[in-house]
Amino acid sequence: MQKIEFYVPAGIDGAREKFGFFVGLAAAAGYSVLVFAARLGMAYRALFEVAGNEKILRQDAVMNDFSWVANGSLRGFAVFAICMAIMMIYHYVYHYQGSKSIYLMRRLPSRWEMWRRCLTLPLTFVVLAAAAVIVLLLLYYGVYILVTPDGCLSPGQWQKFWNS
Amino acid sequence: MIELKNVKKSYSLKPALQGVDIKLNQGEIVGLFGENGAGKTTLLKCILGLLPYHGEITLDGQKINRKNIGRLSFATCEHSFFPNLNAKAHRDFYKMHFPNFRNRRFEALMDFFELPSIQAIKHFSSGQKNQFEVIMALSQGADYILMDEPFAGNDVFNREDFYKVLLGVLEPTETVLLSTHLLEEVENFIGRAILLNHGRIVGDVTTMELDEAGKDLMSFVKETYRYKPDRINKILSDLGDEEEDPK
Repeated sequence: MQKIEFYVPAGIDGAREKFGFFVGLAAAAGYSVLVFAARLGMAYRALFEVAGNEKILRQDAVMNDFSWVANGSLRGFAVFAICMAIMMIYHYVYHYQGSKSIYLMRRLPSRWEMWRRCLTLPLTFVVLAAAAVIVLLLLYYGVYILVTPDGCLSPGQWQKFWNS
Repeated sequence: MIELKNVKKSYSLKPALQGVDIKLNQGEIVGLFGENGAGKTTLLKCILGLLPYHGEITLDGQKINRKNIGRLSFATCEHSFFPNLNAKAHRDFYKMHFPNFRNRRFEALMDFFELPSIQAIKHFSSGQKNQFEVIMALSQGADYILMDEPFAGNDVFNREDFYKVLLGVLEPTETVLLSTHLLEEVENFIGRAILLNHGRIVGDVTTMELDEAGKDLMSFVKETYRYKPDRINKILSDLGDEEEDPK
């Protein structure tokens, strides 16, 4: 396997950047889980009414749609993807900082060298973020189905989510 | 041979090169001269493909592209190294991309100029940065070495050292195209002088031709640019008259 330094502009600490991207991705995932848990909790509690010390499931209780529960939980990933786009631009602009190393990069015999160094790491993390979104959505949907009491689930949740 | 045929370049309608024709033969050391804005830097950047242009630029009859661009190297006063990398890392980078990299020359020049090899280039003095820029251009293993004011900011001793070393290390097949203002300094170092004025070639002469004509480079340049020495006397006398006359 090639060193991470081959996938960032020359002079940038690739390991540090990779670590930073992982932290960003973890933060987006953490934010997502917190938002989902909070909204799921709200939706779940709304199914019950309190009688004294007891919580009783309301007779006409219907769980909020999955689209409502999951709403906003993926916002962190959108911010992360925007940051990755900015990093791609930064990697290009980096070649103008302190010198014009862009001249060297543009006259290399390897056509893709500059683009490989500017784009690979941010694009890889965008793909990882997309994979994380898919995994989390499936997980959230599973939890949503498991948590929702029998009879409180309105049909067609998955379709409603994608249509929302 | 690098050949430029009717090369034109404009910056938002302002012409920078107006139909330039040049042939650079292998083994020549050519000085490219002209006042600021004459088009020297633009010309070098067009040859390297860093700027789009009209006309034709070929290297041994072939268009300059990724296949033959490694035969050209470039040292610029704007610097094209990576400030955060040290000299060793630059050497590795160049070796990876330029198979003809001259490692012995690199090591020898680094030693000669006593440049630190494990210090990031951004910590070098401006003179050292220029030296390093030129070292990389000379070590790339290119047949044609293009230099754009590479010694701007270096002291005179430093520059003299470099000319001598340059003459010593260059092989007969290596060509240098050197853009500079330091006419008198490079006079004994170059074999040919090309003069640019407002994007046009206004003079192209070998130093042998100058010797035969009994001229030096400076007088040839002044002659070519129709330099008027009396204009200085005129302005000084005009200013003097103004001071004497309080009205």
